[in-house]
Amino acid sequence: MRIPVVLCAAATAAVLVGCSAAPLDPTTATSDVPGYLAVADESVTAGGTLDLQMTVDNGAATGLDPQLADVATSWQLMSLVYETLVTVGPDFSIEPALAESWENPSPTEYVFHLREGVTFSNGRPMTADDVVGSLERLLAGEGVWKSQIGPVEKVSTVDEHTVSVTLSEPYAPLLAALANVPAAVLPMAEIEDGSLDVTAQMLGTGPYVVESHRQDVSWKFTRNDGYWAEDKPSADTVNVVIAGQEQARMAALQNGSADLVMLGNVDAPQLLNGARGTSVGTQATTDFYYLMLNSNAQGGKFDDPRVRQAINIALDRQAMADSALGGLGRPTGVTPAGLPGACDPARVPSAEADLDRAKQLLKEAGAENLTFGLAAYSTAPAPAVAQVIQQNLRRIGVEVTIEQLDEGSWSGKVYGEVPATFDAALSWFAGYADPGMVGKWWNPEQAGFNVGFMEPNPELNEAIDKAIATPEGPERETALQQLCDAVDTDAQMIPLVTRPALIGYRSDALSPTLYETEGYGNVFRGIADFRLLSK
Amino acid sequence: MTWWRRADWLTRSGLACLAVLVLVSVVGTVFGIGGDPDAMVGPRLAPPGVDYPLGTDELGRSMLPRLFEGIGTTLLLSTLAVLVTAVLATLLGVAAGYRGGWLGEVVLRLVEVLYSFPTIVLAILVAAVVGPGRTATMCSIVLITIPLMTRVVRAAAVTVSERDYVTSAVISGARWPRILVRHLLPSLSGTIAVQGTYALSVGILVEGGLSFLGFGVQPPQSSLGALIQQGSTYLLAAPWLVVAPGIVLVVAILAINVFGDGLRDGLEPREARSLV
Repeated sequence: MRIPVVLCAAATAAVLVGCSAAPLDPTTATSDVPGYLAVADESVTAGGTLDLQMTVDNGAATGLDPQLADVATSWQLMSLVYETLVTVGPDFSIEPALAESWENPSPTEYVFHLREGVTFSNGRPMTADDVVGSLERLLAGEGVWKSQIGPVEKVSTVDEHTVSVTLSEPYAPLLAALANVPAAVLPMAEIEDGSLDVTAQMLGTGPYVVESHRQDVSWKFTRNDGYWAEDKPSADTVNVVIAGQEQARMAALQNGSADLVMLGNVDAPQLLNGARGTSVGTQATTDFYYLMLNSNAQGGKFDDPRVRQAINIALDRQAMADSALGGLGRPTGVTPAGLPGACDPARVPSAEADLDRAKQLLKEAGAENLTFGLAAYSTAPAPAVAQVIQQNLRRIGVEVTIEQLDEGSWSGKVYGEVPATFDAALSWFAGYADPGMVGKWWNPEQAGFNVGFMEPNPELNEAIDKAIATPEGPERETALQQLCDAVDTDAQMIPLVTRPALIGYRSDALSPTLYETEGYGNVFRGIADFRLLSK
Repeated sequence: MTWWRRADWLTRSGLACLAVLVLVSVVGTVFGIGGDPDAMVGPRLAPPGVDYPLGTDELGRSMLPRLFEGIGTTLLLSTLAVLVTAVLATLLGVAAGYRGGWLGEVVLRLVEVLYSFPTIVLAILVAAVVGPGRTATMCSIVLITIPLMTRVVRAAAVTVSERDYVTSAVISGARWPRILVRHLLPSLSGTIAVQGTYALSVGILVEGGLSFLGFGVQPPQSSLGALIQQGSTYLLAAPWLVVAPGIVLVVAILAINVFGDGLRDGLEPREARSLV
């Protein structure tokens, strides 16, 4: 009888030891400088190799042409090589980048004065013609970002270092749209003479140059010695490893093989506590999760707006923020919570209705026993958000079957067919720096990627256009609230909660610059300033 | 059941453990002990206590009802898959062993092809074809357990088919379905039962492995593998998420293997005279 005694004792000991451990206190990055989670220590000697780890490599999906890049993970990597006329500061204000300054002589005209001494990494100086050519190429191309650039009527060269952009009507988010990677300045002379295939090679004015790339495995960047900013970039080499598994990235951070990793688990600060020399920065981004209800779904599950509205009413955004995102997210409308001027999500029609109203709407639509599938990708915390949605909808008798897919399979299922064949899907948008910008994606005729599952809604389109065209002021606040209400009522793509970005880094090896908030999903925004402490 | 009277305490303990696991899962699930396994009722990652005896997970769900559901899911899926395996392997094994010829060769080559795949690679392949979920899990268990059981049943069928009473039946003009039902299957039942228990423990491991990789049961449904997968991220910060399902998984596999050994020992004296 010795064996069972030993087994029982071992099991009991394991339970006691295991269950006695309490959650550890979080280790979070903080900074004394307002707007920053961390500021690189400039007193540290420059140089060294920076090792990063990311979740996915979107190069194969959209190629390397920045104007076709449509996801934040692509923008992150491309921002090492390409730069834009303007950029955003930690408070979402527009700051100079390749344009040293700009003027706004009239609501429909912008004049950009280009920085002198900027060269592409092949040594050729950047000129106004590159800027004009890049914008014209973007507007003539098929990239989704062209709709964000707005009603540009003409882009013209004033002189070698001055560019004029003329709009057909006022467009408040123009500068914020120009601050994203798809609006980067490309080496147009090389593209036009055919010496550069921009879909296969990257050549920009940015701080780094691509040395090698193995799809889905790694990237290696080296310093652009001709970079215009004095003494930047600090690190000589940047190695990026693509590590799909969260545990693998955490392990790399803990054992020091990575200096900085992207994390998805909202409990990462607790999980990494006790790992000596690690720190986790939590960026409160303007990115947000949204639920797609396919209006073309088989069986007409969501072609009745009442069904979509019922689902929208039953969603408990605060529960998503608290349970699935560990309190790091915020309920949001289509104007991202946290951006100046964003609408109040508690004031949209669905927030003011109750579950009885949702059940009544389902009954009126003859959809009391609705069941549908929800496609969610397996990267944390998306599965957790999907499970909260599932629980929320059970309250009105709607049964949801979650289908967890890797990001590639998910993308194929949601965007691969027109009309789309999925029932519902969960994803997130970057929220950008202007509250009206992301609303553009609710017009499928402009966005393009959602024509397979979204029917155009003229009233909603009108609200989108009005919110974007209205200049800053009380009228814009009203227009933004009307946009939120229209999106909420349409309910084909339902905004849910903001998405936190967690960045783990070796505090004993790296002194990074990280914003407290980010609008374009670009964690590497301050990479030229990063200082390596031990390499 | 004479072997049962001869079974040692270890065999009886194995069966008792399995019975307890099934009972706990059924009673816990039917009577809703601990509440709804999917309901987010408590604080996130609460350690075991009075309100939540096994703590809560990262969504604030009580682990106790999730464990009850997980045991049931794992045992049910594995058992169903092994039953399918037993039926198919018996048909294929008997066909290959008794009929032989080209049919036997085809069956053997087929199971050898399946045998050549590493277990988890085959399971991932199945999940990629039919999509992650219960169907993929069951198909994987069947495809992984069928080669060994088919070969063992075939070997036993070859031996039995050479026995005198089978030869007599053939000479007396009995047709092969009658020989199969009256003479072959009763002699093979012990072999199938023993192999079934081994296949069951493999099935539980495959379910655990597939769910651990995210290809098994889909959230919010729990299984032992899925619970361990979800908890593995929190191994240091919230070890209670892994400890309970981990122990149950170990106990289940140990109990099945111990019971299978006892079953083999109990049936072997009879088999040793005639079978493989």
